[in-house]
Formats: sequence, structure tokens, C-alpha cells
Amino acid sequence: MNDDLRTLVSYIIYCYSHNHRPNQFIIYQLSEMNHDEKHQKPKTPTITLRKFTLSDVDAFMSWAADPRVTRFQRRDPYSDPADALAYITTHILPHPWYRAICIDNTPVGSISVKPAPGEDRHRASIGYRLAYDYWGKGIATEALKLTIKAAFEELDHLERLEAIADVDNPASQRVLEKAGFKEEGILRKYVRLKGETRDMVMFSFLLSDAV
Amino acid sequence: MDEQTTVINRSRQPLTVTLREFELTDVDDYFVWASDDRVSPWWRWDTFTNKEDVLTFMEETVLPHPWMRAICLDGRPVGAISVTRRTAEHQCRAELGYVIASQYWGRGITTEAVKLVLGTIFGDMEGLERLEALVLVQNVGSQKVLEKAGFTKEGILKKYLIHKGKISDMVMYSFIPSEN
Repeated sequence: MNDDLRTLVSYIIYCYSHNHRPNQFIIYQLSEMNHDEKHQKPKTPTITLRKFTLSDVDAFMSWAADPRVTRFQRRDPYSDPADALAYITTHILPHPWYRAICIDNTPVGSISVKPAPGEDRHRASIGYRLAYDYWGKGIATEALKLTIKAAFEELDHLERLEAIADVDNPASQRVLEKAGFKEEGILRKYVRLKGETRDMVMFSFLLSDAV
Repeated sequence: MDEQTTVINRSRQPLTVTLREFELTDVDDYFVWASDDRVSPWWRWDTFTNKEDVLTFMEETVLPHPWMRAICLDGRPVGAISVTRRTAEHQCRAELGYVIASQYWGRGITTEAVKLVLGTIFGDMEGLERLEALVLVQNVGSQKVLEKAGFTKEGILKKYLIHKGKISDMVMYSFIPSEN
């Protein structure tokens, strides 16, 4: 029994034992607080973003070796930590903007911002991956919100962030919408993924949309 | 092989639209639209002012392009059309671009040129599944060309490209042979 409910019950007992009529407004307030407490969604854990180090390889494997996570990625799941170490060294560490999504400083996923090639430096695309056990807790949405803010602050000339999500990946589409991205359209037969040509939903977040 | 079709011009006499590869000897015709102030606002380059620059442009950009054709009216180049394929995991798609001299605007010539490309490009480029085109939101003429040629408008990509130094919204069109 939580504090508000305990208070409510104590108040009712007091009223009846002292022959007071319970104040209806007080009853209402206390019952509402109890209702909210019971029906509140579990809070998203506090997440932080930081750069990767080589010692993160085991944490990295927790999502990179999982076929459920790599299902909508171009690469197959990693089986050898040595390959993961090579990837961290050659791709992640030199990357212009690649961060570990951390809970209590332990990586549970990653998020990256890649500026468009050539002269279109005003545009960058976001990609993210999260370990399976951490899905459905609002973590990816929170990581995106932190990344949007950091990317517009740190990357010169940036005006457009974009992300594509497979038409068969509604979870990722919802994450992007909750983070404030706007759907622009479905690009048919846009990219090859594991031997299949996929339709992708294009999303964007413009600097002019940022609060 | 030359691809061809027939269009009707304003005087109701049939004209033939064909596509062929460019040669450096086409420089005089290329200069006509490259030096046209009505054309240059709509494509990447500024108005060319002399034929030597156009010749250099043809040597460096036009002739080496993997897939570019002259749009010919009764055998004479009046514009250019190109298909640029993407790489790696994006090889399934290629981008269409075209330009035509302003005196030939509004006569259905570009639409016919696009249809000729659609008839040949998916056989020429193995594994190509999507032909796309990005058009400035204000370029209504070009949007009509694509719609008449059978492309589907997929959406507007905001602040997508830099055109003449300005970040511009682009309309995305695509043609998918298995669907369109």
C-alpha cells in the first residue's frame, strides 16, 4: 500500500471515528494520486551517451552478436569478438560521431550520425541499435533526443537530420516519431538488405523544428 | 542502337525524338542550352559563356559519364538525359536527370525522352529496380514531365539538397518497373 493510499484510508477512518463527513474533494485528490501511481509506466532508466573504447567490446557483442538486433542491418551477427574489436578500431573510433548508449556507464547500444557525402554537409543520417533486453523501455527514444540536441550543437552547418526505417520495422518507426522525427514518405525498393530489395520509410528532423 | 518515338509539335507535323551518345562535335548544340539563362536556374551549373568551357565540360563530365544521351529532335541534339547509378547496398537504384533547350519546353519532348529511357535502362543496368528523380519544389514543369512519363511522387524531402547555394526542398519521384 503506497503513502497516498495509506493517507486516504487513515483520513476516512479518522472522519468516521470522529463523526466528520469526509471532505469529498480531499477523497478525490487522494484517490487520483493512488490511481496515477498504479497506472504509471515504468520510468525510462537514466541514459547517457559517451565515446566507445576498446574495452567496450564485450558490451558491444551483447547487441552486435544478436540476430534479433541485426535483422534490419546490412551485416550479419558477429560471432568472434576479434571481428568486433576490429570493427570498433577501424569504423567506430575514427567515425565523425559515434556514441555508446549507456546505463550506469555500461553500453547497451549505440547511435551514430553520419554527414552526407560531398557538398551536402547540412544533412546527416542517424542510425542506432539497442541490445534486445533493453527494447520497449523508451531508451532508444531518449538516446535519439540526446543525439538530436548534440548533433545540432556540435556539427557545423547541420540543418537536416534524417533516418530511414524498414517498412517492416514499425518499432523503429515509432521510436523516430516519439523522438520528434516527421515521416516524409515511403521510398520503394530503396536499399538492398541481405539479398532483398527493401522499401524504406524516410524521416527527418529539421533544425527549424528543434525546440 | 537509337531509341525513337514520335511527338506532335505545335504545327501538328510529326517530329521524331531519338536518343544517342554525345560526341565532341555536338559542342555547338550543347552550347545552345548551356548558355541559356532560362535553363541554368534549374540545373547545377551556372550559365556557360563560351564554347571552350562547354567543350571542357563535355570532355570532363559528359563523355566520361557512364550513361548519358543526347535528346535529339529530327536527329539534332536539343538536350541531354542521364542516369546515374548508386553504389554498394544502393545499387538497386539510379537517379534520372535531364535538361532541354528552352525553345523546346512544353512540347512533350522531354516526356518522350524519359519514356525512351524507361524502355531501355532496366535492360541496360542489371539489378536496377528503381529509377528516381529529385525535383525542386518550384520546378512544376519538370514534375509534370515525370508524372506524364508514369513516375510516382513519394514525398517531399525537406532541406535535402543545396541548389545554387541555397538549401532546398526536393520532391522525390520514382519509377519501379514491377509496380508502376
